[in-house]
Amino acid sequence: MNKTKHLLLWSSVGVWLLLVVAAVQENYWREWRQVQASATAPDGPLEIRLRQVVNPTLNISDRCVSCHVGMAPGESGISGPRLAVVHKPVVHDPAEMGCTTCHGGQGAATDKDDAHGDVHFWPEPMLAKNHLYAGCGSCHTTLNIPNAAVFEHSRSTFERLDCLACHRVDGRGGTLRPDKGGMEGPDLSRVGMTGFKADWYPQHLAKHNEAQTGVWKTSFGPISEADQKTAEAFLSTRVAAPRLVEAKAQFHSLGCMGCHKIGGGMGGDAGVDLARSGLKDPGQLNFAQVPGAPTLSNWLAEHFRSPAGLVAGSQMPMLGLSENQIELLTLYVLSLRRRDVPGSYLPKDRVSAMRFNGREFSSDGATLFSALCSGCHGATGQGMRYPGLPPFPAIGKSDFLSLVSDEFLTETITKGRPGRKMPKWGELGLKPEDVAALIGYLRQLSVTPAKVETTPARWVKADPNWGRQLFAASCAGCHGTKGEGIEGPALNNQVFLRSATDSLLTETIKNGRQGTAMRGFSQPSSVFPALTPAEIEAVTAFIRTWEEKKP
Amino acid sequence: MNQADQQPTHSQPTDALSEFWKNLKAAPRLLKETAFRTGKPTTDRSRSSFVFGNVFLHLHSVRTHRWSLRWSTTMGLGIASTSAFLITLVTGILLMFYYKPYTDVAYQSIKDLHFVVPTGRFIRNIHRWAANVMVICVMLHMARAFYTAAYRKPREFNWLIGMGLFVTTLGLSFTGYLLPWDQLAYWAITIGANIAQSPRELTDIHNITTWFDPGGLNRLILLGSDKVGPEALIRFYLLHIMILPLVLVALMAVHFWRIRKDGGLARPADATERVGETLEPVQPVFTEKPTKTYHLAALVKGRTPAVGNGPEGTVPSMPHLFYVELSVLMVTTLICLGLALVLDAPLKELANPSVPENPAKAPWYFLGLQEMVAFSAFMGGIGIPTVVLFGLGLIPFLDREKAGTGEWFGGPGGWPLVKRSIWIGLGAALLVEAFVIRFGWLREWFPGIPQLIITFVNPGTVLTLLYAAYSVWLVRKWNSTRAGALGLFTCFLCGFLVLTIIGTYFRGPNWEFFWSPADWPKH
Repeated sequence: MNKTKHLLLWSSVGVWLLLVVAAVQENYWREWRQVQASATAPDGPLEIRLRQVVNPTLNISDRCVSCHVGMAPGESGISGPRLAVVHKPVVHDPAEMGCTTCHGGQGAATDKDDAHGDVHFWPEPMLAKNHLYAGCGSCHTTLNIPNAAVFEHSRSTFERLDCLACHRVDGRGGTLRPDKGGMEGPDLSRVGMTGFKADWYPQHLAKHNEAQTGVWKTSFGPISEADQKTAEAFLSTRVAAPRLVEAKAQFHSLGCMGCHKIGGGMGGDAGVDLARSGLKDPGQLNFAQVPGAPTLSNWLAEHFRSPAGLVAGSQMPMLGLSENQIELLTLYVLSLRRRDVPGSYLPKDRVSAMRFNGREFSSDGATLFSALCSGCHGATGQGMRYPGLPPFPAIGKSDFLSLVSDEFLTETITKGRPGRKMPKWGELGLKPEDVAALIGYLRQLSVTPAKVETTPARWVKADPNWGRQLFAASCAGCHGTKGEGIEGPALNNQVFLRSATDSLLTETIKNGRQGTAMRGFSQPSSVFPALTPAEIEAVTAFIRTWEEKKP
Repeated sequence: MNQADQQPTHSQPTDALSEFWKNLKAAPRLLKETAFRTGKPTTDRSRSSFVFGNVFLHLHSVRTHRWSLRWSTTMGLGIASTSAFLITLVTGILLMFYYKPYTDVAYQSIKDLHFVVPTGRFIRNIHRWAANVMVICVMLHMARAFYTAAYRKPREFNWLIGMGLFVTTLGLSFTGYLLPWDQLAYWAITIGANIAQSPRELTDIHNITTWFDPGGLNRLILLGSDKVGPEALIRFYLLHIMILPLVLVALMAVHFWRIRKDGGLARPADATERVGETLEPVQPVFTEKPTKTYHLAALVKGRTPAVGNGPEGTVPSMPHLFYVELSVLMVTTLICLGLALVLDAPLKELANPSVPENPAKAPWYFLGLQEMVAFSAFMGGIGIPTVVLFGLGLIPFLDREKAGTGEWFGGPGGWPLVKRSIWIGLGAALLVEAFVIRFGWLREWFPGIPQLIITFVNPGTVLTLLYAAYSVWLVRKWNSTRAGALGLFTCFLCGFLVLTIIGTYFRGPNWEFFWSPADWPKH
């Protein structure tokens, strides 16, 4: 009995002790309490309590500031460990916007690993330092970003004009005023958001003309209209997230939108909508082939190296990207983390995109081509062959461009090629002026000007039955016996048959098409005999038999 | 209980107010008296009343034999199981405040419990550890009851109730496994559902699955759908928090009550002599003359085991038994809290039906089964477990011997027989496993062999037959069913241990053998 009483006593004491340990652990041994204990407020020791940023509108309660106590709302002058430093000055007040809004991670957790999301299986870990700008994508969407080449041109123009002599942009340039203090010119890092005066140039020029000495005289001079436009284009991309803009320009250079939409915007339907790809749960991804830590950024990078290697059955081709391009694309896709933002916090770029048809890409022909077309037709329209996919035709060669009319191109771009990868861009949001800009861009790829069509669209009068035999012998191998397309493109395509003139058909058969497997049949080859002009017309007449006559 | 209280003062109606105050002051004492009618349990009589006057305590008999109070008799395993259940009950109810049984938020609510809710992680850890402690204690308790031959007459039925409790406990643990809705849960339940579906192996062989599919029906009843989804989650949740606990509590009540009705715990016939004289003063059993007559007894036919037995060798349950029980409760709590402080309950990534875990493993207590399922789904999942459960249920009716009741390893052969059986049980299981791992089995040698042959000739059935043959040999050698049962039970326990350990630690992707998880191929 006494033994039992002792056992009861000591096991009860043990239970009590463990509960005390658990309570102490919960209430006193927490990391953040120790951090706060080692920090001091200006007027004595820091009061130790759970600190958090609460913003019900944004649906956050971020306890990050329990350790990062220097960033806690209403705290100032806290000294102590490195953790206690204040946030570097940013436009968004951390005390209002919270931490996870931009940085990601688990706001509610109060242990370092948990909060940073470094624990196993936390679906949304914090963004790494080199991907910090991706956080902007939670609310913002930068608009009118050109492709990398156009963007690079605008940046180099801006630097050539030496605007950085007075202005500071993204932490570079600017001059301190020797006498009056401050900078010579305002910081332009955010003018893409805040806007700038439309008459900046006349004003600058007037000051230059008035001034006798000083910076206005020496550092400014007349600028050509084209350079003004280019500089303005550059400034409109300055939204205090230079790396993200660069990444987006890269995205607009590789033709990704030929297959992908972002949140239902413009883009092809062949690939998935990328709207929330930056929020993919690493736990749901297959990391078997991914080197390094199982993070989303590593997965994305490996995915760009070998898409089908990570996603079974993926049709996305291997693009042969450089490591720098991969890094930029990874950053961009990580920024695709658009959340529902309450009305009072909607940034104007997002409002513009949502309600006023603001576009994420700029609408010049070069950007449109590289963003929408270059993935399939090649960066210079040279055509692409990806393993496992039918070849994509070259459209940037002089022979083709000199042969086709603007109407043919417009019709092809807006109506697409039914049954093929080429989408109906007219239905996907491409406006007539965009098509015009695209055609303008295509035309300047050609060294010879477009031929002015003098003959009527349909002039061939020949026996289609003769053509049938010739087609079966020379054409069906690539285009299929019914013109359905095998290796070569489909010819029984109604959009194609409607828009292609007889001249286009006969000339293409006669001379072939550069950059594609289509050879000219006016000369014999090792496989096929040459076709006479009459035979070519017969083949053309046969192709015409597939065209459905309008009732 | 003094006289003044019992005589209302009708003669002083004018003094109602002072009467009111007096009653008000007396209220706490009266409350205590009406709640505990017996007063302080100091005499044997009041101690007895303390027990039978309390709805919870009266499941115990008022006096307990001192044989039952020895640690070596039970090792407290039954009470430990009950304690673990109480702990899971309390922590489980706390968890229910935050858990949401819908597939789209279940995982998130566990994440919240883990990271956000104050002490949520601790409570969940306790729940998880108490559940495991419960499974282990129930198994050990069953082994204890077997080895002390406690299932013998008149306790045959309580042995069956105990088996029901064992199965319900496994069911509770298994249904709880799915609730976090993580990868671990999802694929463990998928494996479990496949085990339930394993009769299909037989129907497939006979090509009758399309019109007779008990396996598919099992799975459908278990999951409420053809795959693990929202229906399965709500089903498992309901089973876990309501149906199975109710079943368990009901069975527990019967189990405890039967212990009393069956004359306390099993003990040897000479237990009273063997525990010797008690060292502490024992109050005489009846300090007061009984004032009640027991007319009700005339209605009861037959005799219960307690009839005719005097109180020799017994002590009042209050306080002797209750101190022991409370100690076991506190020790169990201590173990659960200690484990919960040190080791977190696992939580993997969100369940993803398109990314199978490899290896997908069932909860640890089913890994022995899964090891056999790897040989033959039907035999491992249904056949052998059914035979084993059926055999366990038959034990009390086949073993009608008397020798060794209430004693560890009691019966012919005793501990030396059990010791030898341990070596044979471990050896046979290890040999069969080693053979299969090294040389493969019929399918590897004759790829075209009909599945029906493998269903009946596989390492699981071979091992079972080896054990059965050994047991038959023991029965003949000792001329005793008990001896055979001792050997067979020990062998199955050892086989369970070996298969579980191999399934837990040595099986990797595609259920292949690996010495350590470090050797697993990187997918």
